[in-house]
Amino acid sequence: MTRAEFMTRLRRGLNGLPPTAIAEAAADYDAHFDEALAAGRSEEEAAAALGDPDRLSRELRAELGLKRWEENKSPSSAISAVLGLLGLGALDVIILVPLLMSVISAVFSLYLAVVIGIFTGGALLVVGPFIGEFSNPWLSVAGGIGIVAASTAAGALVTLFCIGLVNAVVWWGRLHYRLLKPAMESQGLRDPS
Amino acid sequence: MPEVIETQLKKGVLALCVLSLLSRGDGYAYDIASRLAAAIDMGEGTIYPLMRRLQGDGLVETYLVESPSGPPRKYYRLTDAGRASYAQQKADWAAFAGAVNTILGAGE
Repeated sequence: MTRAEFMTRLRRGLNGLPPTAIAEAAADYDAHFDEALAAGRSEEEAAAALGDPDRLSRELRAELGLKRWEENKSPSSAISAVLGLLGLGALDVIILVPLLMSVISAVFSLYLAVVIGIFTGGALLVVGPFIGEFSNPWLSVAGGIGIVAASTAAGALVTLFCIGLVNAVVWWGRLHYRLLKPAMESQGLRDPS
Repeated sequence: MPEVIETQLKKGVLALCVLSLLSRGDGYAYDIASRLAAAIDMGEGTIYPLMRRLQGDGLVETYLVESPSGPPRKYYRLTDAGRASYAQQKADWAAFAGAVNTILGAGE
């Protein structure tokens, strides 16, 4: 593999990441080639010693996804962290997809229940006192406030649960790709293919 | 497959080896990569994602030094957190390797 080929495959593998991240990674490997050539190695030798650029770009991509999740716990960074680990093969798609689907739908239903609770409580709070169904209008106001507060608390708990869940997945994935998967991949790299 | 075990062991201690090299003096990635690759037989390219991770975890930091040949080199040095982590990992490794050696020795 020539230097140009290596760099093209690396950049293709990093496609879609923030431009600064791609530039930094490309600069690292460019500098490596410069040093290797200065040390008297050929482009082919240097590229072979570096390893598979597709594999390296997956590793970098997963690394960035995990970092984003650690810095900023948002649904989109959770998705990029999990996708990065999937791309690395640190998480098994066959096991994870059905599991994730059921967890996502459970979380979605819980959030729906929270939203319905907030609306019901709000309606009881605002409308209840005026429809004369209750012996004491203040009972309706208090009940409404209670339901809204309980729903909000439930929503916060569900959010905490989600953050904990993604943290657990990330921890598990990291543990595996640091030790097991790279080992298997670099076994593959030794093949002449 | 003994080969798989061997590679796993190498991968597991790679970060420890990098921290150890840096504890003896600052270095640039090409130098670290070629020294480790020669010693423990691994792809040199793996060093860069690893350096990025160590940097992200705050264990190493970088600075630029003019190079006699070509553009400035990016040097890595250990941070205080890096030194502490190195001491911890080194102790863990020594305890683990010692325990394994004891068992292996007892088997002979």
